[in-house]
Amino acid sequence: MAEFSTSVADKGEVSTIYLKGFLDAHTAPMLENTFSGLVDNKKYSIVVNFKDLAYISSAGLGVFMAFIEKVRENEGDIKLSAMSDKVYNIFDLLGFPLLYEIFKTEEEAINKFRENKNLES
Amino acid sequence: MNFKNANLTKSIKFQAFVGFAIILFFFKLIFGSVDAVFFRILNEIFVILTAAFFILYMFDFIRTKKINPLSLIMNIGILNAIIFALISFSNPILNWIFGNVKERLTKPDLIISIISFLYGFLFISLVSYIFFTFKELYFLKQKKNVSTHFNTMIIFFLVASFASVLNPYPELNYIKTTFVIISVILIIINSIRISWIAFLVKKEKVTLLVLSVVIFILFIVNLANSSDSQLHGQVLLNFSTSLNQFMNLMMIYGIIYFGILFFTTLFHIPTAEAYDRKTQEISSLQYFSKLITQVLDFKELSETVTEIAVKVCNSDASWIIWTENNETNPLANKNIGIIDTNLISDYILSKIMKDTDTKTILLNLEKFEGKGKLAEKFYSFAVSPLKTHNEVKGYLVAAKKNDFIFDDEDKNAMDTFSDYASIAMENSRLLEESIEKERLEKEFDVAREIQRKILPSKNPELESLSISSVFIPAFEVGGDYYDFFELSENKFGFVIADVSGKGISAAFIMAELKGIFESLSKTFETPKEILVKANEILHRTLDRKNFVSAAYGVIDIDKETLSISRAGHCPVLLIRNHIVQNIRPSGIGLGLNFTDHFVNTLDEIQINLEEDDLIVLYTDGITEAKNIRLDDFGSIEFEKILLENSDKHVDEISKKVIKEVTLFSQNISQHDDITLVILKWKQKLNLDGENKWQNSAPQLQTKVK
Repeated sequence: MAEFSTSVADKGEVSTIYLKGFLDAHTAPMLENTFSGLVDNKKYSIVVNFKDLAYISSAGLGVFMAFIEKVRENEGDIKLSAMSDKVYNIFDLLGFPLLYEIFKTEEEAINKFRENKNLES
Repeated sequence: MNFKNANLTKSIKFQAFVGFAIILFFFKLIFGSVDAVFFRILNEIFVILTAAFFILYMFDFIRTKKINPLSLIMNIGILNAIIFALISFSNPILNWIFGNVKERLTKPDLIISIISFLYGFLFISLVSYIFFTFKELYFLKQKKNVSTHFNTMIIFFLVASFASVLNPYPELNYIKTTFVIISVILIIINSIRISWIAFLVKKEKVTLLVLSVVIFILFIVNLANSSDSQLHGQVLLNFSTSLNQFMNLMMIYGIIYFGILFFTTLFHIPTAEAYDRKTQEISSLQYFSKLITQVLDFKELSETVTEIAVKVCNSDASWIIWTENNETNPLANKNIGIIDTNLISDYILSKIMKDTDTKTILLNLEKFEGKGKLAEKFYSFAVSPLKTHNEVKGYLVAAKKNDFIFDDEDKNAMDTFSDYASIAMENSRLLEESIEKERLEKEFDVAREIQRKILPSKNPELESLSISSVFIPAFEVGGDYYDFFELSENKFGFVIADVSGKGISAAFIMAELKGIFESLSKTFETPKEILVKANEILHRTLDRKNFVSAAYGVIDIDKETLSISRAGHCPVLLIRNHIVQNIRPSGIGLGLNFTDHFVNTLDEIQINLEEDDLIVLYTDGITEAKNIRLDDFGSIEFEKILLENSDKHVDEISKKVIKEVTLFSQNISQHDDITLVILKWKQKLNLDGENKWQNSAPQLQTKVK
């Protein structure tokens, strides 16, 4: 079926995961691996860029739930960014905006992390 | 009956043999010294009959055993050695015991007669046995029916032997000589065709070469030693001239046969290896073509492939380099360690042009830098691609140690063999896939069955509400759930939910949901309370990756109101006066959050119902239905169809929607469950005939805390 891929870029303290293609029950394990890799390396400030994501299914949404607890326990966060209207609508229906911070652009999400850091220090 | 008969004739032959032996014995005792022609002829007849029945008896006796030419050759060798020993030692031993036997033979007393008889009888057995063995060898692996040739030869043997009765008349010697010469010619003719040598393996041929030389020499020595002037010759001649003659003929037969055997074997030796390989190949291929249909297990099959590969090209080791899921690994190692295969496989892969090599290629480790790391000294390799549908799936590797290299024959053998291997391995893989698919299908069957039992079998019938529901399961079972609850006489509850994930796990969560909502609907009154409690209960069972979107509503029939809460589910649609309203109170999906945050963000909306209000519940299976270009069916199209048909009966509306969705998604498999529930509110007429709707207006934003 349709392809899915992820890539990670480190921007200072913050790591960005780029999603591309179709995220469903079959491709969700790939994203899980990506998250595992970041968490294992103690990178807890994560921004997910949805710019190239065409579709997300409920199994795909589950991946974010699987890691949020662990990340927040370690004073990090998963922030979502650059969603298309269609993808945002799916997140919105499920009430994700009440659980996650969702930004229009990746930069805004990264800046949010930096602001928080500055506030703390 | 046959068996009995065979036994019977067998015992008759044995009795005849013993009988004639006894007659011969007494004849010898009584008439041993009489030198009349008549008695001599009688003597020869008795000897011949004794020998004949002995041979016949032996046929039956030995026929049952499986005949191996080498063991027959060994038999002849041993018999010859015994004859050699008897001839060599008879002279000194007999003379030592009995004095001058030669002289005593002319005037035999009882003891000499007995000794002479026993000696002669021993030779009857030995010579008969040799003759029998020659006969077996002669008929071994003969392609044509050659019994006439052989029988003619036997007749001349007998005549020549019997003609020796005329020994005392030198002027008639030419008769015997003629028959002996003809016999020798027949022996030569009959010995030329030795066809069984070809069927021996090289090792056996070498053994045979050595044996034939030794036995050939033994025959010559025995023939030379059994001349008439020796004591052995004297005793035997005295016993029976035909036996002596027959034995000489046998010795001549032996010399000729083994002489020819030696040369035939010698000429076979250079081609022995090639012949061996051909037979090996043929048997391997036969074996393998059977395997194609028999071996179903991929691992077992690959083990067999490498096992045969070793045989096919006489290599020391073999393994398969197999690529699956983008990982390339050696498998089914035969006679080689895993470390060696890993090292060599990498080297081989680096040397191979992936798509261009379709035939077996030969490689060696001359330029391989990691040579020193190998546990064993493998040097040359034959690498054959294993391909299906022109795609190379892996390589079959055969390896030889030290200085041995693969020749063209090996290469051809590997070519042919790898073709067979490819087919077999592809078959086995396809079979495994189809078994796995079948297993999955069974699993989905079970899940669909669970789902079918959980969902309401029919819609409730209410005076003030007409209800239509459609559920179309996806092949993989999406976990959609809906249900109706008649809470009391004037309250009606409904729920729609979608479990994340698919298959049997989703079906189980669905079953759990049914239990939760069944019981909660009886205890709690408002949709918000019910969803909050449901979330609490799910906390205990859902793992973090799973969640459930749900919407719960209660219709108060007396008050004509609808209360709704939504936990992450698609909006509930209200269609009134040809306008679609999305009823979308705030709320997080069940199982996503278990704190107060969930409770605080969950809203409940109350709506006053009006005549012909349509309440539409659905799951994303409708709006996310895909067409062949992977476009969504979409909520706009969905609402448009609902609007266009809102005046019709609920069943017709849902039929229309499903028809449009099906048309949209034709030629593409349905990837999620589709659930559509439509409720149509019918004005409840009060007894006084007053229409309540006149006073009501939509109050969508009413929040109940």
